[in-house]
Amino acid sequence: MTDRKTTSAMTGLRIGRRGLLLGATSLAASRLGMPYIGNAAAAEPIKIGMIWAKTGSIVDQAEYLAQGGMLALEQRNNTLLGRPAEIVWLDEPNPQGAQQSAERLVGEQKVVGMVGGALSSFALAISSVAKKAKIPYVAANAATGDLTGKSCNKYTFRLQPPVDVHARILAPYCASIGKKWYLLTASYAFGQDIKRAFTDYITANGGTVVGADEVPVGTPDYSSFILKIRAAKPDVVIGGIAASDLTTFLKQWNELGMKGKIPFAEISVGNTDLWGVGPEAADGLYTITWWYKNPNNSPEEKAMAAAYEKKYNRPAADKAWMGWLGMKSLLDSIEMAKSTEPGAIVQALEGWKYRRGDLDIGYRDFDHQMTSRLLVAGIHPKITDKWDYFDVKAELPKTSEDLAKAFGSAGDSACKMDTL
Amino acid sequence: MLDMILSQAVNGLVLGFLYVLIAIGLSIIFGMLGIVNFAHGAFFAVGAYLAYALSREFGWWAALAAPLLTGIIGVIVEMTLIRHLYGKEPLLGLILTFALALLAEAVLRLVFGGAPVPFAAPKFLAGFVEYGPILITRYRMFVLVTTAAVLVAFWAFLAYTPYGRIIRAGSRDPEMVGLLGINLPIVFSGVFGIGCLLAGLGGLLAAPLWTITPSMAAGAIMPAFVIVTIGGLGSFLGAVVAGLLVGITTAMTIQFQPEWSGAAMYILMAAILLIRPRGLFGERWERFE
Repeated sequence: MTDRKTTSAMTGLRIGRRGLLLGATSLAASRLGMPYIGNAAAAEPIKIGMIWAKTGSIVDQAEYLAQGGMLALEQRNNTLLGRPAEIVWLDEPNPQGAQQSAERLVGEQKVVGMVGGALSSFALAISSVAKKAKIPYVAANAATGDLTGKSCNKYTFRLQPPVDVHARILAPYCASIGKKWYLLTASYAFGQDIKRAFTDYITANGGTVVGADEVPVGTPDYSSFILKIRAAKPDVVIGGIAASDLTTFLKQWNELGMKGKIPFAEISVGNTDLWGVGPEAADGLYTITWWYKNPNNSPEEKAMAAAYEKKYNRPAADKAWMGWLGMKSLLDSIEMAKSTEPGAIVQALEGWKYRRGDLDIGYRDFDHQMTSRLLVAGIHPKITDKWDYFDVKAELPKTSEDLAKAFGSAGDSACKMDTL
Repeated sequence: MLDMILSQAVNGLVLGFLYVLIAIGLSIIFGMLGIVNFAHGAFFAVGAYLAYALSREFGWWAALAAPLLTGIIGVIVEMTLIRHLYGKEPLLGLILTFALALLAEAVLRLVFGGAPVPFAAPKFLAGFVEYGPILITRYRMFVLVTTAAVLVAFWAFLAYTPYGRIIRAGSRDPEMVGLLGINLPIVFSGVFGIGCLLAGLGGLLAAPLWTITPSMAAGAIMPAFVIVTIGGLGSFLGAVVAGLLVGITTAMTIQFQPEWSGAAMYILMAAILLIRPRGLFGERWERFE
């Protein structure tokens, strides 16, 4: 030490006033400035992307899906990992629009995960972006089998049971009514899946399809289709038309005097589709994912339903629950991962579990499909409450073994899961 | 099969009348004012929502006021916004009415929510009648009769009343009519209001058949434009003939090629425009040349 001091003095090294000021400023910056920068990074909100339709035929369901998603974040006081969090909600007017919204969320908004895809075609488009950008994506509403089948990928998770599962549960009920079926399905992935699944079922069980029509999305008048159905005299009509299209069909089905004459059945309908029909025209046998009056709902779901009703002054529709649970699974997983790194969130989503009744539900490793029960519901013969339409007949499958069977095994799946 | 074709043809005619009612207001507004009203579907939706709100609050009969209220809203819109576009670049009218359509949808969503709202026809119009293979519901017959009555009344108004003559003359040569001392701005406000009233009436009559959502305008505006284009822009008779043609074509396509039913009216439009670019009854108007 003494040597060093001596050496300094000997070499004439001196710290001048300017040097001292510069050094002091640097020190101040390192001691005071850096913590400030660190705090700013910590306060930067974590962004979650949400893609639900703001326009088009599915917008009525999308409103509930979005409100459910926002409620999930509000229940956490809009924070994640101790930082503020926010949802960025973009539109999905069509599949191309959904894809562009997903690209904007990833590229411009730098979201850490996405929830959305109200229609199957939209969800498939978003899923392709999620795969390319390596961003976790929860498809909370789409039902096409491809999403967790041949188009599956490591970053896409799906909440809604696929068409085949719905069909396995509803088809036996329809077959018990009669074996001559007429299929009226939408001309896109969801409707085409329904047409295939129900045709396969009834032909394998000794029945026949007496007619099958594919209907363009947004058809305003179904009277000509209904006249064809009437002439074919089926035992049951299997529908595969979604959202406001279903509402329109049921109104005209009633108007043409078909309500109560030929049973109508459809899978995966939204509560709002029936609420919009009105008590006079509502009819049919359906599978639904959730019902706010189901006594078997978990305490957390009951709390969500109460919070929703308090905030929006109307009961939580099934779509509100789906939007809420889809978002909740993503937010829970970010907390579990203790990180916003996509790979860590994906792994957390694979391990995420949620208690419903006597079952722990979650996303399966091999195809990222959530396995949960469905409700089989008819319509009350007399509707006195404008929200209370459904008469729940069963909650199926009953056991976890039956549930696994209904959703199929890894061997049955068309999914070839890729890696992170 | 012949039974089925006959049944579908009659059904198509009834459907066509509903389309005519939606399209006729669009045709009138273009024919008289030279405005391509992209917001026409929005006035249709406003009519349906007003019918829903009035019937909920005061009973079904109150819904009959919905078209009148829609017409009044139309007059206000004309006096505050549309009026400034006469004689200007046609693109401005397209942009303004398109913006109006978006605004109306957003307002409806804000007030009534995005979910569909229920609306049923009155009980005395429930049920249907059958004549052999033909099935017609009472409500659709009511729509048909109402539409026919409105069309005849409006045609008589235009053809036989002094006001009708002023409107027709004003649509051809507004400057000359103005020089004769007639207050044309008031006439044009009235015409726009009548067009909107007809759209509102279409909304009221379609409400028990279609789904009432803020985006329902999309289902109305496209057939309306196709019908007006096929019939000839501004042609009253053209809109009627084209509406019926579209209805029958759609019904027949559903019978034989249902997956093409959504595209059928566009194919019909393309085919007719190839043969008659002005549409079936389109005329050469100096004002728009």
